Amino acid sequence: MTTTRTADEIRSEVAKAYGSRVRGTLLRADEEELPLAAASCCAPSPASDVSCCGDATTTSGVSCCGSETIDDVQITNVAKLYADADVTDLPSTVTDVAFGCGNPTAIAALQPGQDVLDLGSGGGIDCFLAAKMVGPAGRVYGVDMTPEMLALARKNQAKVGATNVEFRLGEIEHLPMADASVDVIISNCVINLSPDKDQVFREAFRVLRPGGRLQVSDIVWTKPVPDEVKGDMEQWAGCIAGALLESDYLAKIAAAGFVDVTSDAKEYPGGKGIASAAVVATRP
Amino acid sequence: MRPDLMEILVCPLCKGDLELTATREEDGEIIEGSLHCAACNETYPIEDGIPNMLPPDLREA
Repeated sequence: MTTTRTADEIRSEVAKAYGSRVRGTLLRADEEELPLAAASCCAPSPASDVSCCGDATTTSGVSCCGSETIDDVQITNVAKLYADADVTDLPSTVTDVAFGCGNPTAIAALQPGQDVLDLGSGGGIDCFLAAKMVGPAGRVYGVDMTPEMLALARKNQAKVGATNVEFRLGEIEHLPMADASVDVIISNCVINLSPDKDQVFREAFRVLRPGGRLQVSDIVWTKPVPDEVKGDMEQWAGCIAGALLESDYLAKIAAAGFVDVTSDAKEYPGGKGIASAAVVATRP
Repeated sequence: MRPDLMEILVCPLCKGDLELTATREEDGEIIEGSLHCAACNETYPIEDGIPNMLPPDLREA
């Protein structure tokens, strides 16, 4: 089966899927007393009833890259990805909706004073982590196309008290950012959702300053994408159907003008060829 | 959004400069208002502190 959906249909489906995933957390964010990261998706969590990336996805309805299955493939190692990050002081309304496949801030080696853009910032977890690293002299911008996510990110921002973070509703294919305005672009398991990845990388190139770095985590295939997966929107929103072959992904980044494009892809168990890739590229 | 961010905020479509109209501000932050692009005559709302910079055809999605 091949996909006949238009780019707009894909965007709309993805926005709807992520909007509905975040709604419960958004309601909860209005409540006064929130447990701190007790039931988080991407922090170590002993008895989580809300697991985005672990095995307990069928009951929670909150899923990320982790819950969608292809036959017997389960992406289960995501819960460990934030293990080393300092998420313990983030509210659960931040960590519950961290639908990532990696933690770019753990590897991005951000420096104080840098300006950072997060493509698909969701509930804001990576923005808040990045904000700590760049400090008061730096700025972090989060762009997401899902209004519910942005509303939650704003509430989370008030709780976290991050004053050097700015969120805006926007499309990663049409960034509302001036040319050469940031030092580092991060993105966590989002670009695979875009129906026009070439344009995403061109836009990333445009808004990076010369010498700036694109440092993203994403789902890629290490073998050709099975035809039966390609047109399945559930699997698109689950980060699988829209994911590219790793070599194609890197080729698109290079085609946008980036140099020194490297990737470290770690395949998920199951042998189907689905991998989480840590990708780095530089704008010359 | 904070007004000093105007320098890096551009129209998502034509990348033109935007003109800010603030209708409600709190603590130096713009809560409600709009951003107008003179180049393509498009207006982007600021709601609840968040600039809605989605292209117009996606705004209602």
